[in-house]
Amino acid sequence: MTVGRSDGRTAGVIVVAAALLAVWPSGRLAAQDSQFGIRGLGTPGKWESVRARSAGGGFAPFDPFSPLMDAALADIRRTSASVTSGTSWRAVDASGTQSSLRGTRFPAITIGGPLVGKIVIAGGFTTYLDRTFGIVTHDTIDLRGTPQPITDDVTSDGAVTDLRFAAAMRPRRWVALGAGIHLLTGSSRIVATRTFADSANYRTSSSRDEVAYGGKGVSLSALFEVTQDLRVATWWRTDSRLRADLSGRTVADNDLPVSYGGGILWRAGGQAVFAGSVAWHGWSTAATGDSTGGPSAHDTFNWSAGAELGPATSPIRFGARGGQLPFGVGKAPTEVGYSAGIGRSFSQGRGRLDIGLERLQRKGTGLTERVWTLLLGLTVRP
Amino acid sequence: MKRWLAVAVLLVMAACTEEFTSPGVCPQFCPGGSIQVRDTVLSIIERDSAFAGYTPRYQGGGMAAAELPSVRSRPYFTFPTIPTRLKPIGTDTTTVPISVDSSRLRLAIVRRERSATNLELKLYQIPRTSDSTSDFASLDTYFNAAAIDSVNVSDLLSRPPITDTATIHIWGDTIQTDSAGHVLVVAGTDSVLLVYFSLDTLKVPFSVPDSGQFGLGVRISADSNASLSLGANESVSNGPVLKWFYHYTVPDSAATVKHDSTTRSPRFDSFVFDPPTPALDSNLAVGSAPSERSLLRFAIPAFLRDSFDVVRATLNLVPVAPFAGAASDSLQILARPIVSDFGGKSTLSGTTGLFGHVTLHPGTTDTVTMEITDLVRAWAQDTVSAKGLFLGQSPEAASFTEIRFYSSRTPAFAPSLHITYVKRFPFGQP
Repeated sequence: MTVGRSDGRTAGVIVVAAALLAVWPSGRLAAQDSQFGIRGLGTPGKWESVRARSAGGGFAPFDPFSPLMDAALADIRRTSASVTSGTSWRAVDASGTQSSLRGTRFPAITIGGPLVGKIVIAGGFTTYLDRTFGIVTHDTIDLRGTPQPITDDVTSDGAVTDLRFAAAMRPRRWVALGAGIHLLTGSSRIVATRTFADSANYRTSSSRDEVAYGGKGVSLSALFEVTQDLRVATWWRTDSRLRADLSGRTVADNDLPVSYGGGILWRAGGQAVFAGSVAWHGWSTAATGDSTGGPSAHDTFNWSAGAELGPATSPIRFGARGGQLPFGVGKAPTEVGYSAGIGRSFSQGRGRLDIGLERLQRKGTGLTERVWTLLLGLTVRP
Repeated sequence: MKRWLAVAVLLVMAACTEEFTSPGVCPQFCPGGSIQVRDTVLSIIERDSAFAGYTPRYQGGGMAAAELPSVRSRPYFTFPTIPTRLKPIGTDTTTVPISVDSSRLRLAIVRRERSATNLELKLYQIPRTSDSTSDFASLDTYFNAAAIDSVNVSDLLSRPPITDTATIHIWGDTIQTDSAGHVLVVAGTDSVLLVYFSLDTLKVPFSVPDSGQFGLGVRISADSNASLSLGANESVSNGPVLKWFYHYTVPDSAATVKHDSTTRSPRFDSFVFDPPTPALDSNLAVGSAPSERSLLRFAIPAFLRDSFDVVRATLNLVPVAPFAGAASDSLQILARPIVSDFGGKSTLSGTTGLFGHVTLHPGTTDTVTMEITDLVRAWAQDTVSAKGLFLGQSPEAASFTEIRFYSSRTPAFAPSLHITYVKRFPFGQP
């Protein structure tokens, strides 16, 4: 085995990566906000690296740096780390009310490497449910016999984070197996403010608190090399209940879904790779629907397909995705997306920078969202 | 590659701005739970009582003058001595006597009943020994003697202002004057009326044995609603001022006569009124002179501290009877929180942001409401602070006006606290 000496560029990359990790803002691990997640448990994160997401998500089951499937970790030959960030510009049309939103998120980090023999271990975190939103409402209420205009502002900043410890091994050349345990943790800082138009007589009321989330899950997966150019993946995951605690007191306890899915990857020569995947999530068990007309929870099915063209050191990627969101009024909201991106290896392959652009459209009863997301990923292998 | 990295880092840094607040479409796309407002009246005022004797009349910033069917009030003041001899030349060791020619008295009307017609100020000489022991009855004889001078303020106000530069140079402003030489100047922006009396030695004789000490009283009259307030010495700039004009002879060969003047503020000023304020009873009392205050203690319930956010708190007080005064008279009540509870000698807070205040007018019989939201919010946050406040008049001891409210000993009309509060937001619910 040849051990390469790190050159200056590699060191620079490592410094940048370390700096990014060091200044990581807490509570900014959400993947992508959506108004559809406000009334439910949140907006599920996308367990994908920039590479996978730029290709519509089709490569996620086969990408070791996408936190979707543990078996793919078996492909990590050297200790490596990957971070993903995304900046979204979101246009919301809620029954004719337009608004423009913006947010920066760091939805996935994975660090892994060989342990002993054929066993590879990895850890990292990704967004399980995003809980970042802000809502402003105006109303007039009767106070002391007088109509009083009021403004309510409720903001939540935080997420449920999936802290993953996973291992994978390749017992045979044609199969890789993986397993992981997941600790669901995180918090959201919530501020509820009511202001009165008659500020001379009525003071602004503002209350704030931090809700802590807890839960756990396990995942199993397998990756089969059907031929030299064809790979098939399958995965299964179950999560326990999501507990929301306020000052040590449990205020909500919701079931989390059993999820499963699979994917297929085909290498059409040396410079073209195609992949597709599907996933089912049993979100209906979360059962957040209520008598006030709030959204109910739905099982979801999602698909994705994409391609990676060109040399492995500087590929071009594109793809599409579709499916459903778990929380919404009436039928499950739908999501359709298109994405494209590029990757560039540097420092003799010890580092890779991925850039992607994604366009999503979500539609549900009374609400349409259109999202542009700029994705940026960095993978280093010191 | 360096360019790529630089672009990537710049993108990350530039994108670190957030805007995630949007108009809500509720309830479908709003958080579970909402901000709830409730309104209730709490009878949590206890151990309330009235105390008297805080600020004496002679320390008030004003002196009330009134001749009303319900009350009569008369200001009075005594002036100190002036030297009766002086050194005609600075380096001389000998002194010469002064000879007083006349005097000029300035009174400041800081508040008046504007509907009063033929409002007249009359000056009476009172004993120079008058002091805080003087009362209405002991001075009444002097106020029933002949006035040494009088001025019709309504008439002065109707006179055309004299605007020539010479007059403005002397008086500092335009003046209005009458045939008797009274002068009226409207001072500054607060519409204080400065009335000047020109008094010769027949009206105000200079008593050499008393070194010029003498006392004056003021009685007012009008067709109706005769009520006003004169500035007192404690008001710093609006107190009575007496200026003595005198001359003396310089003992040189030519026996030169020189003219000069000297100014004096009162040695003592106060006012007396009739009928006197009745003794304190089981009710709460505010006002009068010497000033009365009432202490209210609040038993703040635990739920106000733990679960609710008070957005408005109003103190309700039911008057026992309307207070006396002319139509435009007012009585401002100030609520000041106590820092520590020592009953009538409790320390008062100086945090003006927590004060409550309300202005009342004669004839008020309806429930008096006073906003004390900031104070109640402060109490809810500071569990160890003293939960009480003092009701007092502002300014104190400047008027005979007094109002009484029912206390907690009269349950049907007891003081109460009307609060509007926001219930704790149901955090954590999906």
